[in-house]
Amino acid sequence: MTVIQVPALDLKQSGYDPNRPISSLLKTQVEHLHVAEKRLPARYHSEIYVNAIRTEGEAANYIRAVTEAIHAAHKEAAAQRTAPARKRGIEIAAVADERSRRQRKPHAVKKKGKSAKGGGRA
Amino acid sequence: MPPGLDNLKHIVVLMMENRSFDHMLGSLTAVNANIDGITPGLSNPDTNGNAVSPQPKAEYQSQLQPDPDHHFPAVDLQIFGGSTAPNRQANMQGFVKSFFNQQQDVGHSQNIMYYFTQNQLPVLTTLATEFAVFNRWFASIPGPTVCNRAFAHYGTSFGRVDMNPFEILEPFKSVYERLINATPKHTAKIYYYDTTSSTIEVVNLLQNQPELFGTYQQFLQDCASGNLPDYSFVEPNYSDHATSSGEQIASDQHPDHNVQAGELFVASVYNAIKQNADLWASTALLIVYDEHGGIYDHVPPPSCTPDQFTASANDTGTGMPFAFDRLGVRVPAILVSPWIPSGTVVNTVFDHASIPATVTEYFIGDFSPRSPRETSANLFIDPSQNLLSLGEIRTDCPDFST
Repeated sequence: MTVIQVPALDLKQSGYDPNRPISSLLKTQVEHLHVAEKRLPARYHSEIYVNAIRTEGEAANYIRAVTEAIHAAHKEAAAQRTAPARKRGIEIAAVADERSRRQRKPHAVKKKGKSAKGGGRA
Repeated sequence: MPPGLDNLKHIVVLMMENRSFDHMLGSLTAVNANIDGITPGLSNPDTNGNAVSPQPKAEYQSQLQPDPDHHFPAVDLQIFGGSTAPNRQANMQGFVKSFFNQQQDVGHSQNIMYYFTQNQLPVLTTLATEFAVFNRWFASIPGPTVCNRAFAHYGTSFGRVDMNPFEILEPFKSVYERLINATPKHTAKIYYYDTTSSTIEVVNLLQNQPELFGTYQQFLQDCASGNLPDYSFVEPNYSDHATSSGEQIASDQHPDHNVQAGELFVASVYNAIKQNADLWASTALLIVYDEHGGIYDHVPPPSCTPDQFTASANDTGTGMPFAFDRLGVRVPAILVSPWIPSGTVVNTVFDHASIPATVTEYFIGDFSPRSPRETSANLFIDPSQNLLSLGEIRTDCPDFST
């Protein structure tokens, strides 16, 4: 059996460069993900302005954020489908609790506050 | 039925990015004359009218900046040399002109003719010579990535020749949906490298069916544990990015990403399958590139069965409509299995529609509806062409030490 030695990548010459301008492929991937992102409930939106993405690193951050959001949204939807129906009284108590928490920490976890409202509309 | 086909349980497709056959494998004609690569006499004119020959001067990185144009109008120029006459013939004479258009530099435009030597690409060239290499595997469309990859997933691009998000038009289904909804049920997965690299198949598949997706780490685990699905589509890393485990170098080989990083990735996929003896004996691995990326190849793409869609003159950007009746530029394609004789060279015409055609035919059998292009596509699991034809499993297959 022949063993082929594959030279290791020379990291100094490999050109690792997250600041490299994005190729048409990555630009397209960002555009495709943006379409997918807009279809997600608002609480899963990344708040990254895609038209400002210029580098591979920036594209990578956005791609990760939306891919994770898609998986999280599906996970949540699957959990909701299998969860037993809650009684209305419990829902009201949960909302009241959420409000009081928001009053205590008005600036904490901005997107979570938004999610409680935005989720139903999207 | 040959035992290799009898034992086949898994088909794995690894699709790399944007390199032509001559650029990656053209050097192999020197070691096996049956491989249709670089020979004396090939050339392209530069914008001064001088003939530019292919030269073994390709480097892993830095020569192909800007990204060579491979959108529909540019590929039309590359294939037809700039002719728009009604009876024009594909002559593959417009690659240097096309690259010149991007930087207006005659010397730089010649880089598009450069190819790798065999020694530079030990993984790809070893697999090509040790297993089966396809002399006539073409991109499905003379255009860019998205529409070409669509053919690999759906057997059609639904009339698209560009990079825009597309809609899946009824009645066609992806090969993954066909498999998981079949009776008996089959398994299928797209393994993207990681969530930061993700996949272009986001809009239509990831969005609706995230259970069809896994990461490359999961692919490695599934190989080791013997839990690989019936059909796997593996995607390389599309970007340089940092993760908690360190810097990740793009391995897709898309210009101007490092080609050597792609070599290591191909070796990693091969090793993952080969290290599990049961999996190795029951898997066929197809390594193929989505399109040529604007880089020179000398074989004119043939005409083909028209798809049922037509792209308008406006959509193609050439002033001419396109009926999906001609294939794109030739790309590297290699089929790996211990049931394939060493040195197999296949001359039948294939394109990416052959992927869903073969996978569907092998795992499900009769299935409709399928696009006209997929229905007429040749199957790459075919013992009559020495593909999985051996009566005994090979024990002399190479190993890669990385």
